[in-house]
Amino acid sequence: MPDSRPSRRQVLTAAAAASTLLAAGSAALAGCTSSAPTAPEQPDLLQRPAQRAEADAALAQAVALGHPALAAAATALAADRQAHAAALRAELHRVRPSQSPASSTPPRAPAAAPADQAAARDALAAAVRAAQDEAASLVVPLPGYRAALLASVAACCASHAAVLP
Amino acid sequence: MTAAGFGSPPAKQRIPVDALQAALAAEHTAVWAYGLAGAFMPDKLAGQLAEAAAAHRMCRDGAEALLIAAGAPPVPAEPGYLTPEPVTNSASALRLAVIVETDAAAAWRSVIERSPAQAELRRAALDALTGAAVRAARWRATAGRIPLTVPFPGAP
Repeated sequence: MPDSRPSRRQVLTAAAAASTLLAAGSAALAGCTSSAPTAPEQPDLLQRPAQRAEADAALAQAVALGHPALAAAATALAADRQAHAAALRAELHRVRPSQSPASSTPPRAPAAAPADQAAARDALAAAVRAAQDEAASLVVPLPGYRAALLASVAACCASHAAVLP
Repeated sequence: MTAAGFGSPPAKQRIPVDALQAALAAEHTAVWAYGLAGAFMPDKLAGQLAEAAAAHRMCRDGAEALLIAAGAPPVPAEPGYLTPEPVTNSASALRLAVIVETDAAAAWRSVIERSPAQAELRRAALDALTGAAVRAARWRATAGRIPLTVPFPGAP
């Protein structure tokens, strides 16, 4: 479990172990109890970020194919958004193993990139900004492991926005 | 991020003291490292450097204030730090900048993971994580290092 592995500087001291374990414990338990992040009939809050990540990856791939000047940035963006989609799907699947880890929506039509290069660049910029905002909005309400995952997604999208050509 | 983003938590608010101390230590390191790196970076990077150093001072002060408010003595800065490699030129200075941003991102992500769902603290930590990820990408771009981004900034 990635959420239970402390990084190298998070050496637990005896004094703080109790509160740390409490936090780690509640994160670990979130998926195993009846008080899971969402009730059975409600859509999981990670569904939309997962779908958005898949859509962004498809858009970025289309831009990479159609615009050589944007290919490097778009290819990198597609790879990162694909990684986000995979991680979010894995977490969705962990909480609800009955659902397929793959996308639960029918395969979408291949994304079309704007023909104009400036418009394609703007489309990528808008996509990563929207993704950053969506992920950031979920960092406060979600339990620790999911909050940290969404925080990384938001930070990654912000970093793409910062280095788009 | 603004200093206001680090407003004092309500009294008795449970905060992840260990993770915040680690974040503060990372910020002390970053402030020190930018002082060293700045000596080896060309003048044209002065603005980017000053911006990064100022951001880390703000995060450092914010983390200190949160710890003091929680009654935990903030870890002090060390007189000096060991760098992973000697910093002797612009290239090694840029590598150090990427490393301190990577470490800061990890420390702040851990604050988010270990904090209760408390809006102010999590937002401040998210701002710090996001800022670190953005600066790391910009330094990689400056250094011509591909890829410029990582998919999960701060993840172990």
